[in-house]
Amino acid sequence: MTSLTAASAGRLRAARRPGAASSRPGFLWALPATVFFALFALVPLVLVAVLSFTEWNGLGDPVFVGMDNWSALLDDPVMLKSVWLSLLLTALGVAFQTPFSILLGVWAAGKQRNRAVLSAIYFIPLLLSATAISVLWRSLLDPNFGVPAEAEWLFGDGNLFGSQSGALAVLVFVGVWQFTPFHTLIYQGAARAIPQVLYQAAEIDGAGRVRRFLHITLPQLRNAIVTSVILMVVGGLTTFDIVLILTQGGPGTDTTITAYYMYDKAFKGFQFGAASAVSLVLVVTATLISLLVVRLSGYDRMRGSTEGL
Amino acid sequence: MRGRPNLLAGFGSLVWLAIVGLPLYVMLAASLQSRTDYASGGPLSIPDRLTPQNYLDMFSGGFGRYFLNTAIVTVAVVAIVLLVVPPLAYAIVRSRGRATTAVFRIFLLGLAVPAQAVIVPMFYVISEVGLYDDLIGVILPTAAFSLPVCTLVLTGVMREIHGELYEAMAIDGASAGRMFFRLVLPLSKGGLSTITVFSALQAWNGFLFPLVLTQSAESKLITLGLYDFRTQHGVNVPGLLAAVVLSMLPILIVYLFARRALIQGLMGVGGK
Amino acid sequence: MKRRTWLTRAVAGGTALALSLALTACGGDSGGEEGGEIRILVYGDTANKVETKLVETFNRTSDVKAVLDTIPGADYQAKLQTVISSKQAPDVFFNWGGGSIQPFVKADLLMPLDDLIAKDPALKSSFLPSVFDTAVVDGKPYGVPMRGTQPVLLFHNKKVLADAGVSAPTTWDELLDAVAKLKAKGITPIALGGGDKWPTQMWFQYVYDRVAGPDLFKRAVGGDTAAWEEPDSRKALETLRQLIDAGAFGTNFDSVKFTDDGSPALLARSKAGFELMGSWAYSTHQSLDPEFAEKDLGYSAFPAIPGGKGDPANIVGNTNNFYSVLKATKHPEAVAEFLKLQYSDEFVKEHLAIGNLPTTTNTPQFLDTSASPEYAKFQFGLVEKAPAFQLSWDQAYPPAATTPLHRAVQGFFNGSIDADGFIKAMQALPKP
Repeated sequence: MTSLTAASAGRLRAARRPGAASSRPGFLWALPATVFFALFALVPLVLVAVLSFTEWNGLGDPVFVGMDNWSALLDDPVMLKSVWLSLLLTALGVAFQTPFSILLGVWAAGKQRNRAVLSAIYFIPLLLSATAISVLWRSLLDPNFGVPAEAEWLFGDGNLFGSQSGALAVLVFVGVWQFTPFHTLIYQGAARAIPQVLYQAAEIDGAGRVRRFLHITLPQLRNAIVTSVILMVVGGLTTFDIVLILTQGGPGTDTTITAYYMYDKAFKGFQFGAASAVSLVLVVTATLISLLVVRLSGYDRMRGSTEGL
Repeated sequence: MRGRPNLLAGFGSLVWLAIVGLPLYVMLAASLQSRTDYASGGPLSIPDRLTPQNYLDMFSGGFGRYFLNTAIVTVAVVAIVLLVVPPLAYAIVRSRGRATTAVFRIFLLGLAVPAQAVIVPMFYVISEVGLYDDLIGVILPTAAFSLPVCTLVLTGVMREIHGELYEAMAIDGASAGRMFFRLVLPLSKGGLSTITVFSALQAWNGFLFPLVLTQSAESKLITLGLYDFRTQHGVNVPGLLAAVVLSMLPILIVYLFARRALIQGLMGVGGK
Repeated sequence: MKRRTWLTRAVAGGTALALSLALTACGGDSGGEEGGEIRILVYGDTANKVETKLVETFNRTSDVKAVLDTIPGADYQAKLQTVISSKQAPDVFFNWGGGSIQPFVKADLLMPLDDLIAKDPALKSSFLPSVFDTAVVDGKPYGVPMRGTQPVLLFHNKKVLADAGVSAPTTWDELLDAVAKLKAKGITPIALGGGDKWPTQMWFQYVYDRVAGPDLFKRAVGGDTAAWEEPDSRKALETLRQLIDAGAFGTNFDSVKFTDDGSPALLARSKAGFELMGSWAYSTHQSLDPEFAEKDLGYSAFPAIPGGKGDPANIVGNTNNFYSVLKATKHPEAVAEFLKLQYSDEFVKEHLAIGNLPTTTNTPQFLDTSASPEYAKFQFGLVEKAPAFQLSWDQAYPPAATTPLHRAVQGFFNGSIDADGFIKAMQALPKP
């Protein structure tokens, strides 16, 4: 209904003052989504902020405790470590997923039939729930009966979940396995959109395959890269279900990333006040980083990638 | 169009196929074995006895109901997303107002809000409203938490629509609404299918909201049904994996049919 | 309740207003309020078959109808904590007694069962006292046992032990000796699902009990943190260290889990000699490898530690599961009737048939009907005669202590913390 009003308002104005500005949509177009999102995401978030100043175990009344939860967080070594681990895991995720998904995406953008079939198979991991993926990998990586037992030269005694580096490697690997399909899809679409003229021109200039990739494909994928990296960053920072099932934050607190730390405080320890403070730290960190990426890339001001041509 | 076949890429793609394929093979093979055979063979062995028993058990165990519920939730979530996201993305891309820029920033912020961060207040909001243990109570938050990513993706796609196309329509005196329906929607088909797939996946595989916001068997969803294979001290891995295969099938079929549109649409539109 | 009410009302009210406009057409109410109904919340797993049957039995004669809700296992406690003080609270719910209900008692949510027991003394006298007492908080009973008892036993692979020339150990030295012999044969002496952490904890529970007696932990969990520094505590840690350093658990135990059949497979496929595990391991083996369960799976009580203060007949584990009752229930009489079913003959027979071992006084007469009578009798004898039955540590402490407790036991086993580190970690656990 709002669209109709907006549309007719727009038409009125357009009639009066023809030109680009009058035919642009007004704020009303954004309203339904905004209101809906505010009700179910922002309102609870505000409640979380309120709760972060209370002590509450979910029973009885939250008790207002001022800054207690916050000052406790500052002295909490696990908290600091968890933020660092979140950033590390996210950075590793971006570092591994981006090249894989760009290469796969560009490759899959080719029109050959076998590529179509293979990319359909590549897509399947995306269809699985995190629970399923984690259970699957857990049995595959069993040190006595899984892959490590068959490849001792690579895995040694297979104590992957017993050391920090092993556990982190597993999380990064499973993350790559799970999320590369989605990002591949983004790149595949973007790669297909690159005008063939550009390649034809380069070919006339005698540019090889590598040069064409570096000088045409990559720059043309800029928008896609930014979108995909932002999604990886926020996805990485808020990852938690695979940690829950694969490592439970262990060994010790060696894979206790912030999102898992919060879950642990809230749903294992029932310290909802303290957990709320942790989740705000997480939200703020993730927001700052995604704003940073947006700023650096100029994403929020960006128009189509073709406009620069 | 391209010249010689790219051997390196071909090789790389096969390596990736192995990485993706091995776990999928293990999943399928395990789901067709009894728990006893799977335990004695281990995940990597080639099974010598296959049985559909795990799948049969599931249908006698109420999975039909879970399927139906999950389908309802998924369709509803996708419908909500398709209803509210395109106008929003359109406004973000085309509007020059400060308010819409601010809205975009809010949605970017929303990207960074994990569902588990707000689950406790969410429980109280949903139960105050009387939607506890009601599928609607799962649908609304699930849809809300799909919005940020969908908005980001669709805005990206809509940005690729050339300014000249709008100007051409503007000269004809087209209104914002007319441009939306005649220009933006048709040219964003790929983005629309992407957000459809994305939000459908979110809804189909969602776990936390159904866990906290439903209770009775009548409103159980598939992801919770997977837990039927857990006991206090263990999990029936083959049974669970059979349930996973089964719960994946419908969405795989949808994907296979929608694939062409998905990729083609994602090609963007500006260059042509 | 006041503060939360304004908090949620203020925000939820706004949401509700907006939503009711959107939802009037949908008619979202499930409307189960009419007539009488008691809702029963249980941990979702295979035992639900029995619970469903009992609910049917109850509903045949009762005007107030019972409704069974099952919650996916892993998140049961989280879900319970979320709903229990809301209007979605059940009338009766499954729990583990001890620390798992203590916070609810403190929040004044649970009904002390004194009155019900006064009216029907069988509600108490029908159960083994050591089990019933687990759900006594601050001197008042808050739970009626349901499902079965799950003591921790030392399981072994008969074939592996015979090949190495050892038998089930009755003393600590025999255990160490068996470990050395198995290790010499290239077999992991003891399978351990360290990835789950609670199996690691079982070793602490038994060694502390045998070395220091049940009293030390009782004081510690009661708030006397100095108990952890006592010589007996250090001695227990030294004893454990001795076993770990002997290579009893191999090197990759933190990557193995019991819950995904990893450690049971080690035992069943003769790659390990022993596993310390709850009595449920028997049915796990039955479903994994029935032949092994029948022929080669052996079990014994935990060995005695000479010079220790604990009685070798003491056991640890999950004493039982319990049904507790919400104070707010509208149908206390119906609930009382329902609880009476938990010591009925039907209840006992049904649970024995699926491998659970109820702890009612009428259980012995049905033990022969059990899925595996010999095993059931062994366990029941153990529980009946045990001077002390220590509830698993992570269930004796309130839920907030679980994660740090698990971290400490894991850290001590993999060597990332020493005895002092462990003691410090235990002293820092959230107080009950």
